[in-house]
Amino acid sequence: MSTAAARVAGATKVFGEGEASVTALDDLTVEFEQGKFTAIMGPSGSGKSTLLHCIAGLDTLTAGSALIGEVNLGELNEKDLTLLRREKVGFIFQAFNLIPTLDAAENITLPIDIAGGDPDQTWFDTVVDTIGITDRLSHRPSELSGGQQQRVAAARALVSRPAIVFADEPSGNLDSKSGAELLGFMRHAVDEFGQTIVMVTHDPNGAAYADRIVFLADGRLVGELLDPTADQVFEHLKSMGD
Amino acid sequence: MFKIALRSVLLHKLRLTLTAVAIILGVAFVSGTFVFTDSMKASFDDLFEDVNSQVDFYVRGTSEFGSSAATLEESIVDSIRSIDGLDVVVPSVDGIAQLVDKAGEPIGGAGPPTLGFSYLPGGEGLSPLDIRQGDSWPTEAGQVVIDAFAAEANELSVGDVIDVITPIGVEPFEIVGIATFGEADNLLGATLAVFEFEEAQRVFDMEEMISSVSLTVGGGVDRTLLQASIADLLPDQVEIVTAEEQTDDELSEVDEGIGFINTILLVIAGVAVFVGAFIIQNTFRIIVAQRTKELAMLRAVGATGRQVTFMVGLEALIVALVASAVGIGVGVLLAMGIKAAFTAFGFGFPGGPLTIRARTIIVGMAVGVIVTLISALLPARKASKIPPIAALRDVATSAKDLSRRLVAGLIVTSLGVVLLAVGLLLDLENAISMVGFGALLTFVGVSILAPLFARAFARTAGKPLPRFAGTIGRLAQENAMRKPRRTAATASSLMIGVALVSVIAVFSASAKAGVAEVFEDDFTTDFQVALDGFSDPRFTGLSPALTDDLRQLDELSVVARMRIGEYRVTGDSAEKFLLGVDGGIDQVVRLEIVEGSFADFRDGAALLFEDEAELLGVGAGDSITIEVPSGAMLDLDIAAVFAGDALGAPLVVTMPTYVEHLTFRLDRFIFALKSPDVTESEARAAVDAVAGPYPNANVTNTDELIGDIEEQIDSLLNLLVVLLGFAILIALLGIVNTLVLSVSERKREIGLLRAVGTTRKQVKQMIRWESVLIAVFGGVLGLVVGTTLGVATVAAVGQGLKVAIPSGQLITYVVAAALGGVIAAIPPSRAAAKTNVLDAIAYE
Ligand SMILES: Nc1ncnc2c1ncn2[C@@H]1O[C@H](COP(=O)(O)OP(=O)(O)OP(=O)(O)O)[C@@H](O)[C@H]1O
Ligand SMILES: [Mg+2]
Repeated sequence: MSTAAARVAGATKVFGEGEASVTALDDLTVEFEQGKFTAIMGPSGSGKSTLLHCIAGLDTLTAGSALIGEVNLGELNEKDLTLLRREKVGFIFQAFNLIPTLDAAENITLPIDIAGGDPDQTWFDTVVDTIGITDRLSHRPSELSGGQQQRVAAARALVSRPAIVFADEPSGNLDSKSGAELLGFMRHAVDEFGQTIVMVTHDPNGAAYADRIVFLADGRLVGELLDPTADQVFEHLKSMGD
Repeated sequence: MFKIALRSVLLHKLRLTLTAVAIILGVAFVSGTFVFTDSMKASFDDLFEDVNSQVDFYVRGTSEFGSSAATLEESIVDSIRSIDGLDVVVPSVDGIAQLVDKAGEPIGGAGPPTLGFSYLPGGEGLSPLDIRQGDSWPTEAGQVVIDAFAAEANELSVGDVIDVITPIGVEPFEIVGIATFGEADNLLGATLAVFEFEEAQRVFDMEEMISSVSLTVGGGVDRTLLQASIADLLPDQVEIVTAEEQTDDELSEVDEGIGFINTILLVIAGVAVFVGAFIIQNTFRIIVAQRTKELAMLRAVGATGRQVTFMVGLEALIVALVASAVGIGVGVLLAMGIKAAFTAFGFGFPGGPLTIRARTIIVGMAVGVIVTLISALLPARKASKIPPIAALRDVATSAKDLSRRLVAGLIVTSLGVVLLAVGLLLDLENAISMVGFGALLTFVGVSILAPLFARAFARTAGKPLPRFAGTIGRLAQENAMRKPRRTAATASSLMIGVALVSVIAVFSASAKAGVAEVFEDDFTTDFQVALDGFSDPRFTGLSPALTDDLRQLDELSVVARMRIGEYRVTGDSAEKFLLGVDGGIDQVVRLEIVEGSFADFRDGAALLFEDEAELLGVGAGDSITIEVPSGAMLDLDIAAVFAGDALGAPLVVTMPTYVEHLTFRLDRFIFALKSPDVTESEARAAVDAVAGPYPNANVTNTDELIGDIEEQIDSLLNLLVVLLGFAILIALLGIVNTLVLSVSERKREIGLLRAVGTTRKQVKQMIRWESVLIAVFGGVLGLVVGTTLGVATVAAVGQGLKVAIPSGQLITYVVAAALGGVIAAIPPSRAAAKTNVLDAIAYE
């Protein structure tokens, strides 16, 4: 248990009420290991994003609990949730990751700046270097390619050394080469720096970068793969489809 | 198209609501002004018609211009009575009488006149006054009837004995009755004292004299013949007029007063509408920008550019119609509010319902619709230029815009400045409207140029922000810079208010500096006696008895006074002020005689200000003919031509000449010089003792006098600032509007900031700083433009003014603007803090 960076137990999320209500998460229990790269897969509408939002403190569960480390998110007020996100959580969204008025470097240090802290310069350099955007640091997002933007977002998610990084289809908008670069970098961050990453993806090749894949369907856990290869993922998805 | 436009209005309800508020406020001010002044006029029409319907003819002194008329010999009454066919003949005496409250403070006199009338038994039916039930008219010496407002406000009632200041001095009178003007407790703030007829002649220093005679005609008499036969009896400068003519004359005097109020209110309404136009334009521009994709989509599916323009215009029209209609309604409420405020402050006017004329509604609708359509024109045209491709990707605006903006801005600004200069420097008939239009163009020009410095301003002024507000400050700064046009347009509306306030501040500081200089340099007097507070020199003054008393003092060596009157050179030239002065004036005022000699200044002679001499093309030794208000022509020999601002009037005559030809009987100013053998404090004590019983007299030395005048200027300044506060309020609404729209536009960004750990408080801070930057930008622009305009105006007006820039006060305005920015940020920052993170990051 102590190795879990984040977990949900009996997590239920219902949107809407009565007739029109949708159960996005249905009594789901899952945990994400410390220092591991976990991928979440499942058909569209299976509750992947909802799970990510709830465990990251962006949304609240209807029932059950979500914990980051030993902190139960349900017990935090709005302000503490914000501070927790700032200190413990990193994000990479599918798009709109960057503030257009800030340049790349400023975007990367944004969470630290907002918290009023000082970025660790060597760590910053390491991250930026690894991610390969050193020469783009003074550019604004509008001057960066989509792939570069996503890498800046990844750097931002890592630079404050959060306990856990959540990524929702980070390569969804990228071509396969840029996508592979981004995922390679994420893999690298897990291996080299011991970063914990949880990523939602639709792409079996992407999922193969992960240490573990959890499969969701209708808000429930329906399968799991350890140290997957792309072929295994294909197989598994096919068997789920049947 | 109509359907799309209507849908769009409904969809953008929120953003359009604030635009609507700007229109509503402007229209409300315009229509409220009309409703108020129309109602006022209507009630006066009724009152005077009612009053004069009892009378057939008036015999009165002629009055060609100004506010005083010739007086009549009382003997005229008997010769009129000798004519057959007349029913009632009632002479009356009018004058100025100021009431004194129980605490010894004079009542009224600060603006509206303090009127005195006579009462003769049998004349009550012919009087505009109604006496309160149970009270009596004054029938004996020592009795007075006062107006209901003065009575109520000062807790005076029948049986009380009060002092009344009249031309012959201060005397106690017993209140025997309280009177009203129809339903009104007083007439536009005028106070009233009615005396028994002979008593009135005595206190107004009009023994054997009267002001007018009211006549009624018996049945079956030929009026035209009667009027002609009376006219034959009358000497020069006395005339007989019908009641209708009298009504018209009285109304035209009241109308002049109402017209003045009307003009002031309309100017403020105009400023409000003008500021509102900026906000409307900005809102539509932002809405068009935010809907670029939607409009481009319309283009893509085949709508023409013209159709898109039409659609945006139609949206504006819908908003304008609704908002203008609401504005007119609010205007009626506003009129009721102004009326209540006037009554509460003691400016009563006769009752009657609110008058809502078709003109009010038409003008209100027209103002709202036209201003909105003109404001929406540019954004609508811009909408038509959106290419269909914009639906698919972001299309950058070209840089060519900038140089065109520079040229356009410079042209409009220079045009404004030229008009201003022409209006200020050349002696033109419609100088005021020229100056007003010039100022308007200057504002528009500067607002066109403003986007060019918006970025630089935010960069410079916002520099300290990142240092003490960190990234939040930096984001605020960047946000203020990213849409310079938006920032500038928003700031421009605030600029107008701040600029006008700054002009007034510069003007009053310069007036104060000028006053101080004039009094310090040009007056050699030890003491002055003036009226307490602000007052209209035509309607009130010091009792001449005070001068007589002061002359008894051994402690004083010179006592010289001044009276103010009106004159004009020819029938159609401007009316100007003349002064009547006592001998010895040269000892208390440093007259800079540039031509001629003061020694020649005798009765029937005049001193002429050098500009006036130049204007008339005359010099010392020549003679001029002037017309006084009674219509009499007066030949004056020019004794000397003087320079300097000390006397402040173009023409000066001796007191005997004044008394012979003008009817005003009160003094404006008394100057005194102490005897060489007493100390200043001894002399002061003596003067104070003599002036003590005259409650409206204010004794000062030069320093105190300067202080008093400065205080009066300040209170006037404050009044104007409060009135202009309305325009500033609308401008702040504009900031609210812009920021609310910007926040909705930046929903994703704010959501992202929230996701990565920005607290709500920090988001609010970010919006607040952006708001402050915009507000300070507007404040600084206003300060620069206002100070420049103010200094230019002061320099152009010149006389009596000395350029002074009240930097402390001006800085206060910018600080106030910044605070306004903080307040304006409240709604948008709330909206921003509420941004839902999940909505914001949802990928559509
Ligand atoms: N705000 C919301 N209101 C109502 N229903 C919602 C909301 N958000 C998600 N849902 C519903 O919850 C279910 C799970 O949605 P979720 O976004 O988690 O799916 P997902 O697995 O991320 O799908 P995708 O792969 O398409 O991103 C869906 O049926 C969705 O319609
Ligand atoms: Mg999803």
